Amino acid sequence: MKPRYFGRTLLGVAVGTFLATGQVLADESFLDVGKQAPITILINASPWYDGFENVVDLYQKQTGNKVNLEVTPFPGMLQKGRDAVRNPGASPYDLININSTWTIEFYSGGFLEPLKEIDPDFKLPDQVYALGDAHCWDAAKQFRTCKTGKLMGFPPNGNVELLYYRSDVFKQKGLKVPKTFDDVIANCKVLQNPPKSYGYLQRGEKGDSIYYDWMAYMLSYGASGVRDAENGDFTVTINSPQAKAALDKFLQVSHACAPSNAGTLSQGDLIQLIQTGKGMQAQAVVASFPNFDNPQKSAVVGKMDAAVLPLAKPDAKPGVAIGSWVFGIPKNASDAGKKGAIAFAKWFLTYKAQYAYAVGGGIPVRKDVFDSDLKQKSKFRWMQAYEDEIPYGKQVFGYAESAEVTNALGLRLNQALIGQLSSAQALNKAADDFYGIFKKHGRKTGRIAALPE
Amino acid sequence: MTRSADAESPAAIEAGFHLKHKAGLVDFIDRHFKWFTLGPAALLLLFLTAYPLIDLFAMSVHTISFSQAKEIWTFTPLANLRDLFSDDIFAIALWNTLVFAVISVSVEMVLGLALAILVASVTAGKGLIRTILIVPILMPPVAIGSMWKLMFNLDFGVINQALMVVGLQPVDWLGSLSVALFSIIIVDIWHWTPFVFLILFAAAEGLPKEVIEAARIDGARNRDLVFKIIVPLMKPAIAVALLFRVILAFKVFDEVFLLTSGGPGTSTEVVSLHLYKVFFEENQIGYGALLSLAIIAATIAFLWVGQRAATAVGRR
Amino acid sequence: MLALRGPSKAAAYTLLAFGIFIIIAPFLWVALQSFKYQIAILQGAWIFPPTWFNYLDVLYSPRSDFPLNLWNSIVVATVSTVCVLIVGTLAAYSLSRLSWKRWIARGFLAWTLIFNMIPPLTLIGPWYLIFREIGLYQTLSGLILAHITLNLPMTIWMMMAYFNEIPIEIEDAARVDGCRRVDAFWRISLPLVAPGLIAAGVLAFVFSWNEFAVALNLTSRATATVPVAIARFAQEYEIQYGQMAAASILSTIPALVLMFFGQRFVVQGLTMGAVK
Repeated sequence: MKPRYFGRTLLGVAVGTFLATGQVLADESFLDVGKQAPITILINASPWYDGFENVVDLYQKQTGNKVNLEVTPFPGMLQKGRDAVRNPGASPYDLININSTWTIEFYSGGFLEPLKEIDPDFKLPDQVYALGDAHCWDAAKQFRTCKTGKLMGFPPNGNVELLYYRSDVFKQKGLKVPKTFDDVIANCKVLQNPPKSYGYLQRGEKGDSIYYDWMAYMLSYGASGVRDAENGDFTVTINSPQAKAALDKFLQVSHACAPSNAGTLSQGDLIQLIQTGKGMQAQAVVASFPNFDNPQKSAVVGKMDAAVLPLAKPDAKPGVAIGSWVFGIPKNASDAGKKGAIAFAKWFLTYKAQYAYAVGGGIPVRKDVFDSDLKQKSKFRWMQAYEDEIPYGKQVFGYAESAEVTNALGLRLNQALIGQLSSAQALNKAADDFYGIFKKHGRKTGRIAALPE
Repeated sequence: MTRSADAESPAAIEAGFHLKHKAGLVDFIDRHFKWFTLGPAALLLLFLTAYPLIDLFAMSVHTISFSQAKEIWTFTPLANLRDLFSDDIFAIALWNTLVFAVISVSVEMVLGLALAILVASVTAGKGLIRTILIVPILMPPVAIGSMWKLMFNLDFGVINQALMVVGLQPVDWLGSLSVALFSIIIVDIWHWTPFVFLILFAAAEGLPKEVIEAARIDGARNRDLVFKIIVPLMKPAIAVALLFRVILAFKVFDEVFLLTSGGPGTSTEVVSLHLYKVFFEENQIGYGALLSLAIIAATIAFLWVGQRAATAVGRR
Repeated sequence: MLALRGPSKAAAYTLLAFGIFIIIAPFLWVALQSFKYQIAILQGAWIFPPTWFNYLDVLYSPRSDFPLNLWNSIVVATVSTVCVLIVGTLAAYSLSRLSWKRWIARGFLAWTLIFNMIPPLTLIGPWYLIFREIGLYQTLSGLILAHITLNLPMTIWMMMAYFNEIPIEIEDAARVDGCRRVDAFWRISLPLVAPGLIAAGVLAFVFSWNEFAVALNLTSRATATVPVAIARFAQEYEIQYGQMAAASILSTIPALVLMFFGQRFVVQGLTMGAVK
């Protein structure tokens, strides 16, 4: 059988067994959402798309409601989403998938319909993870929070990074799963043997790659970009001593454990090194895990295991930066389309739909699916680590200037990694950049003492 | 506007040519041939390019934000200009783009011209050779970027494999500050030399054979033929190839975006990549528009030399 | 053109062979990747079990629209190329041969050039608006219109260069013999620029075939073209190299075939025009 369609078949089997064994009790069956107008969903091609498509097929079969999937390459998602909502006339899509880093633009611009305005009774099931409140918007605070904000959408997945390691090599060499970054470095002494094997892989490419991977350090070391964005205090704190400690550790790990081209390592390069068997420990997104077990794509099938990201020190919290997506409903969608989208949301977030979604290759968003029997299966051996990490998940840089701020940070960190700047210089420069950006946008901002260079 | 576009659509004019028996219509076209020939192009340009261009100028002096699903335009010409002059990364990107454009375009022109003359001189198989040589421009840019990234890979890339076979050290093609831009230039040369070749080959094929034959009978050597006869005769085509290669070089995006994202550091940052970040990712529409005008201005300034070439084409 | 004899012939042919090798080798390498599983591609393996998987996946996987994308690309590239050749050649002839005022000709050419310099990124927003307004959003006709416009500047400039290569006397002589403008253009000038017409056509075709930004924005799933489909293999967390290679080969070959026949069609059409 072609492994690619394996998920689809497995789903069929799962659903089949379900029906055959007569386990379909009234309260457990798929939600009845009634007859709805056809809807169109703007969705990106991604590793979890197959899982999503399976669920949509199931929805169509179960409810008889039609769903069109407008599958779009990742680089086109933002443009298509913007086009749909910014222009006069009806939106061509009833539901658009928005990367959590873009959500603020869509919320603050007033482009999305709060879900309760369409259906006053709609709410997310309690089992759905908060995922850093990416789907709520408080217009007064201009901040994403569910405490005081309105519900603007619902998550199709929540992606975080996990620590991956080669369980076979660890067993053979008698290594322990690292708890802290210092443990990582200690393991590296045994594992680092370039170009045959690399001790620890983390992305270093300029831009989103390096800043996102550095978040694991920054958050665990207790550093932050600004003092208190939620309450409007944009005093720049990126050049704090904690941030410097985080960057120094990042550089130390990189120098001790990474390949010589660490400064250009992108997501694709990193996964390539894992799948070819050169990477012994690595931090990478959970979405890439299924590839490690796919014999068409990987030379390390069954050999990678997952754990919680390393910590700054044994009693620190893991630095979990969430990269999630949010499904939102455009204000300029048709009324029937909006209703249809809400109906799909209700159905999609039920336990059974999420279970089927997970089986098909998606990352579910319900805690009870993580607590289900799936966790016991070897295919889902990443689930425990994910469940342990997700309570610490944060949506970092959650303000309108996030793209500018992260572009600046992504450059400065990279310059530190390739040796153009020292860690203190890099963070001081990043602080200058941040300050300028906030100043320009009229934020209440300020500086802390510069790091000694 | 749409209606008149229909009336003078290419199809209508094409039909005119086939209706030769209706002499009246052809005579009518003949009398107004000037308008029938330039008209369709002018209408199309007016219809589809005027608004974007005007919009670009308007945006460049505003700051644009969104509220209640509506655009809010604030007139801020000075602030936008100040942003431009304090944009350090743009300055670096502009310099990198210049280096990139000068090296890649000049190499491509020389190689493209050499190939064009060579292929025009072979006796058989011209069509086949031309078909083979255009393969690089036919490959989808996203595939070119992704595939070359694979080929440049430090650990597994085919180029380093080849180097190691002949006993050399592997090179960090995309990760070294001094090599990264050079690597992108290599890809660009591979990608776009066929473009130059194609334009110049057509020009070489169209050259009056008698002139060259006469020169050869007079005893001109190959080198003289090339530099004294062929190249001067091909000047208009060379100018056009140069012109459009320079414009394309200033617009280079996919290769850089997929190979290095502008890194390491700022070593491969180019103007279009910076524009992508500012206008698209950071959603600074007003300043982004000004930035794209600045890029256009830079291209024009760069082409100042080419302006003479353009006159040579426009009116001989 | 050049008389290649003896050692210069050997040198020229060696040089040409070398050039062709450099240009074609990466393409062949990509073709090779299309028969590998992802892991063999990632390892840079030379010995590998060959597979049709990538082709089957691109063409027949349930989530693939590739045959449809290919058809859309063929329609858009062919129609837009034919149209831009007609519109652009006429305009080029007009500017090159018919007595336009200097400022009109220059202004027109400058306009096309500046339009050509606009980064596509800033173009797609306004075009989205225009095409929605005239009801051509998400249609092939809309994309064709857009591609004609995009390729118009280069076609005009190229064709002008080729028209300018023809000595003006040839046409003047015919005009003195009582030949109409239309006929002078159709029977004398046009056949003489046939190689240029082919080059301009090939380039317009290639640029339309590979155009991504505008195609992405103006099409829907049903009207998406090949570059949009291929971009789907470059995902957020993974580039599916095998499928991308297979799709690139599947995209290149029909384009080569179409261009090959297109060239013959142009040549035949023009010789017929000239003989009449």
